[in-house]
Amino acid sequence: MTAPLPVEHEHQSSRAAAHQRPRIGVVKFASCDGCQLTLLDLEDELLAIAEKVDVVEFAEATSRRSGGPFDVLFVEGSISAPEQVEEITRLRAVTKVLVTIGACATAGGIQAIRNWFDHEEIRHAVYPEPRYVESLAMSRPVADFVAVDAELRGCPISPAQLREFLIALVTGRRPQLPDEAVCLECKRRGVVCVAVARGIPCLGPVTKTGCGAICPAYGRGCYGCFGPRESANTASLAAWLSDGRNASDVSRLFTGFTAWSEPFRKIIDAHGGPPRSVPAPTETPDA
Amino acid sequence: MSATSRFLPRADLDRFFTALAADGRRVIGPTVVDGSIVHDELSSFAELPNGWTADTAPGSYRLRATGLDRAFDYNVGVTSWKRFTHPPIIPLTRGRREGGHVVVEPVEAESPRLAFVGVRACELAALRIQDRAMRAGPLGDADHIARGDAALVVAVECATAAGTCFCTSMGTGPEVEDGADIVLSELDDGFVVRIGTDAGADVVDRLDLRPAAPVESERAATQVAAVRAAIGDPVPTDGLPTRLRAALDHPRWAEVAERCLACANCTLVCPTCFCTSVAVASDLDGVEGTTERTWDSCFSLGFGRVAGDANFRPKVRDRYRQWLTHKFSTWWDQFGSSGCVGCGRCIAWCPVGIDVREELKAIAPPGAPSGPIPWPLSPAEGRAPAALAAVAPASHVTATVQGVHFETADTASLQLSTDDPALLAALPGQFVMVELPGFAIPPISVSRILPDGLNLTIRSVGPSTAVLTGLTNGAQVSLRGPLGRGWPIEAAVGRDVVIVAGGIGLAPLRPLIDAIVADRPRFGAVRLYLGARTPRDRLFVAEMNALAGRTDLEVSEIVDRAGPEWLGKVGIVTQLFDHAPWDGTRATAFMCGPERMMTATASTLEHRGVTADNTWLTLERNMACGVGTCGHCQLGPFFVCRDGPVFSLAELGSAFGREGL
Repeated sequence: MTAPLPVEHEHQSSRAAAHQRPRIGVVKFASCDGCQLTLLDLEDELLAIAEKVDVVEFAEATSRRSGGPFDVLFVEGSISAPEQVEEITRLRAVTKVLVTIGACATAGGIQAIRNWFDHEEIRHAVYPEPRYVESLAMSRPVADFVAVDAELRGCPISPAQLREFLIALVTGRRPQLPDEAVCLECKRRGVVCVAVARGIPCLGPVTKTGCGAICPAYGRGCYGCFGPRESANTASLAAWLSDGRNASDVSRLFTGFTAWSEPFRKIIDAHGGPPRSVPAPTETPDA
Repeated sequence: MSATSRFLPRADLDRFFTALAADGRRVIGPTVVDGSIVHDELSSFAELPNGWTADTAPGSYRLRATGLDRAFDYNVGVTSWKRFTHPPIIPLTRGRREGGHVVVEPVEAESPRLAFVGVRACELAALRIQDRAMRAGPLGDADHIARGDAALVVAVECATAAGTCFCTSMGTGPEVEDGADIVLSELDDGFVVRIGTDAGADVVDRLDLRPAAPVESERAATQVAAVRAAIGDPVPTDGLPTRLRAALDHPRWAEVAERCLACANCTLVCPTCFCTSVAVASDLDGVEGTTERTWDSCFSLGFGRVAGDANFRPKVRDRYRQWLTHKFSTWWDQFGSSGCVGCGRCIAWCPVGIDVREELKAIAPPGAPSGPIPWPLSPAEGRAPAALAAVAPASHVTATVQGVHFETADTASLQLSTDDPALLAALPGQFVMVELPGFAIPPISVSRILPDGLNLTIRSVGPSTAVLTGLTNGAQVSLRGPLGRGWPIEAAVGRDVVIVAGGIGLAPLRPLIDAIVADRPRFGAVRLYLGARTPRDRLFVAEMNALAGRTDLEVSEIVDRAGPEWLGKVGIVTQLFDHAPWDGTRATAFMCGPERMMTATASTLEHRGVTADNTWLTLERNMACGVGTCGHCQLGPFFVCRDGPVFSLAELGSAFGREGL
């Protein structure tokens, strides 16, 4: 029998209270950890949230470990290696509410661009010794493998949406996570449409809101990191953007963090796949 | 007021700014930001877009230098003035819920003293049109009214025509006729100034201007006449409202949906679109809760959603049709004018260049209407805008739970006590908005009217209704209401009465039953037909049994699915009366239930001879404001919250049961 951690011995009363609080876990698969860090970025509320929930697994924040069960499990990262398939299946079985967070977990991530390429070719392009690396031919969203109860989009996720989700969780109401276009956020903020006023290609009309329209507010087009919204009419937007652009340029606009999401993927497929202008491996002169 | 025009030399423009500021006003006007002409607060008229114009086309807006020393040679700014009269986000309420005690207080409406400079004829019309919409209904929108009333409007007559302008067709411009406090016409060397109101005269009189010379006034008139000629008449509007409503099934709706991104840009740049949603926020403890009103759009999927995740406009085709028909057709029924002013913003700011002028020509071309008229109202005989009620509904009144009775496993009746006179004057068929700080605010029908309170019967279908059905004695809720139009009981006096209820639909019918039973001799035969999913889903069982025991009422029940304990009838509710031996022509019918049940009931009642104007029903929609100002509950020409929720079949016409409306 493993001895409990000393810190828990010292807090018997809070441990007892912890049984009433939802058991929360945060785990990751193929990803950069940025979405997990958004949790830690909720500095003002972090302590208050920590009192309302029992964080039993969160490698970025605590040395506590738990194999479950979880009332709520936040899952970051795409499923990209064989052992990850087993692990997500196991986690699902011990989790009540499974929440995917970020573009990798919800859409496959930037790494899903490899899904269009030859697996071996990519492995050799990235790793000097690919035989030490086990990977799947595709990087895929968690929902391709197990049922997902809720998702927080973005690269990284929005602190405001995470806060809303957590507050709704502890107060027992439905989180308000709109599925509308980024355009509504632009217009509410008074950001002038970069597409119409400056001809900058923008995925805002087909992308789910939540970021607060950061990119258009800085004069850039939206590159879709929150992924497709409901009724995302990517075909119409792509047709409009095709005016004066070749197929590869149109495809490039959709080949980003959520390229593998179905509405974006079908545009990429219809325009000859991701642009092929991947920089060639750097030539190292033979010694 | 002075009928004479004055002349403001260009060099004196700053004095005009100073006069506006001296009137205690912040000056909002056009200025160049990020390659566009937007309306923003100005610190001087040096910030006006001097020497700039904007070329607009479907899906395109480009600033262009004119090389001229003129400030208003563009048409409309990117942003409409609704940003200031109907801001994108305003706080609505602040609430607290602690130990069961609930207090919700409305946030006071703001009315900053602003001067709007550069308002075009079309925009002036838009301010008027949106204002009319926001003053309609039992309460209106207090914040909008306060802001609009506080603003001073300095209009400018257009001297150029953009490629997207069509004010001439909509009858709103380019000439500024009335409605502005001050009207400017820009000439090369200065401005012809006309005074529209006393407030405008107060400002202009401080400038001590000379009268405009006849040649200057003439030049101003020639200039705007040239604009009118340049625009022409791109959208023939004769009969347009009727032509559009007769084209609800036009194939073009599906075609435009192929191009439409449903991104909502057209509605948000539109100067008259007023639809909003309520966003709820709370603290971690669930004690403090706030609500905000935010711009929303009929193009967003969530806008058509109702409890239980059903959606009235799932398809983009339905959403585009809702927007276009509202703007050009049903707006007439609701507010007595077109909802479009021809500013062309929806054309320029559509990211894929959909041109409303072209869509109108394709869907509702000039000439005879293409199909049947789906509902009886027409612009000529449209309803007058609803007047403000003599007794306003209660706003955020705290009521206390005096009793909780579980009718079924998931449905509870809350007995609420209140001494608020408006709430106690509730009529059968009316509803209230029930607020607990931090939770979404559901509309709930009144299920019994008591001398000292109300009963609400609530089915738990989501978090808000779950927490409401979980309340115990002594807990409080905040109520707005009573809202909407109730059952027209008087219409049934002296006639037979048929009441058909499906499931929770019995709740809004119960006060009607109470009223009829209390006044039983005034009615002919009274028949109740009650349907439920299973025997366990029957509501008010003891009461209905008691009614069934009376000799002056007939009560029949049926369930969709029965267990072994059920000895009654099994099937759908219409089976109870499709062959019953009564004469429908003598009957007034009242019904409520799931929409599909009501469609079937309506058709059976029609077969039984009950006429459409004697068949009354109550509709479920996504009611957010409850008073007709948020736009959520629109059904064709109706706001269900304000014009209903009780309607006759004759009023609804084929809007009843039509997919996607």
